[in-house]
Amino acid sequence: MSSVLFLNLAWQISTLALVALGLAIVFGKLQIMNMAHGEFVMIGAYAPVITSSMGLPGWLQVPMCLLTVALVAFALERTIIRHLYGRMFDSLLATWGIAILLREAVELIFGRGYQSVSPPIGGTLSILGADYPAYRIVVIIGIIVGFAALYWWNTRSKVATRIKAMVGNPDLAEAIGINTARLSAGAFIFGCCTAGLAGLILAPTIRIEPMMGLDYLIRSFFALVVGGLGNLEGLGIGAGIIAGTQSVLGAVANQTYGYLAVLTLSILFLWLKPDGIRSSSR
Amino acid sequence: MTALLEIDNLTGGYRDTNVLFDVSARIETGSVLGVFGRNGVGKTTLARLVQGSLIAGAGEIRLEGSSVGTLPAYARRELGFGYMPQTSMVFDDLTVRENLNLGSNREAPDRYFERFPRLAERLDQPAGTMSGGERKILAFVRSMIEDTKLIVLDEPSEGVQPENIYHMADCLKERAAAGVGVLLCEQNLTFLTSISSWYLGLDAGTVVLNKPANEVSGADLRSILSL
Repeated sequence: MSSVLFLNLAWQISTLALVALGLAIVFGKLQIMNMAHGEFVMIGAYAPVITSSMGLPGWLQVPMCLLTVALVAFALERTIIRHLYGRMFDSLLATWGIAILLREAVELIFGRGYQSVSPPIGGTLSILGADYPAYRIVVIIGIIVGFAALYWWNTRSKVATRIKAMVGNPDLAEAIGINTARLSAGAFIFGCCTAGLAGLILAPTIRIEPMMGLDYLIRSFFALVVGGLGNLEGLGIGAGIIAGTQSVLGAVANQTYGYLAVLTLSILFLWLKPDGIRSSSR
Repeated sequence: MTALLEIDNLTGGYRDTNVLFDVSARIETGSVLGVFGRNGVGKTTLARLVQGSLIAGAGEIRLEGSSVGTLPAYARRELGFGYMPQTSMVFDDLTVRENLNLGSNREAPDRYFERFPRLAERLDQPAGTMSGGERKILAFVRSMIEDTKLIVLDEPSEGVQPENIYHMADCLKERAAAGVGVLLCEQNLTFLTSISSWYLGLDAGTVVLNKPANEVSGADLRSILSL
């Protein structure tokens, strides 16, 4: 395997894992089938467009992204989502409508055309004998470190244990003093913010447009189907298989074969192993 | 004098179906109210209405004189309500240790391990892999270590071996002696009569007996259970 292919694979897997993380939280923990997940990725990707159009310094992209996504997620949670926890099919329909609404709103503000932004870190780094964009290498390392920190937090923190308790037995969780409505809202907003952050990180490497979210939603869903819900290991495995298959086939054949293989794989998993490789409620 | 818990003319149930009708009771500080009756008479509904996972359609629930009847369960926990449900009483996916460490305002469980040593042996085991009786004990110990003013227990002895039921009774006597009120819904008359200071008998969702323990005979209790 050439160094560039390996680095591309690492890029595809790590960014898909980051994009799918929010869906894993919202779908896996709250049983909300968030069809608007990709739109949160899209809103995050527009953050650098907003800051540059307003002439704001580049470092404001992160707070701008998180604030915008958190506000939208908060408003949706208070008005719609909190009535749909545990109602997967209802949430699918409702968030499908929300996705259309968000796409139309963004199109109204920014138009239908493509936008592009420059990476905050330019140039290339020589790694494994290949010159590779420095920005992508920094992002790959950042995602690996971020997931390690999240894994540590998930196994050690009291909040993570409370979320597991709430998911497993919401009535008992309330009885021991856990405000499940507030915890669910926090988890939903956190999940949306990770999607927005993924969009912000991906923005310099993609064409930003209102319809971009759908592809991320589908690939995230496939990653969860293959990997299984409820734990970070499953998310990593799912992202590895989906992004890996698509990358390798895309490189040795073409993108169409890559998509076809991913679709076939997902159908097979839904049919033969619907809980995925590493499903767990923990 | 204001009682620890006052239940006045409580009517409630599940959605549009009322199960309890016009139920009134009081629990004094440090006393045990034994609630009994046949299956389906409304014991669990009463426990859930008091604890807050169900909200009453009519009536009043007061803790130390303050109305709590419309508060959600988590808010009642903050005010001092403890609860051990009859079913789904532990977090199956969490370990025994995690089950005991959840929640705020609690003491270390160590002193309960002398009476229930199996828990200490299984601290790192997922609670869902334990037997029904062991899960009951875990839920019971969790309700004991919480800093509460009132503990609501729904059939705690169901499926528990006799030796451990004696230990449960001792624990409840200790908590009552420390000033905690207890609302105990129970069908095991031996257990119920060993610790109750007041009885509340239910039949078809209504109160058929509400008397101090020293005014009630075993025959009275058995007659209500056979109604």
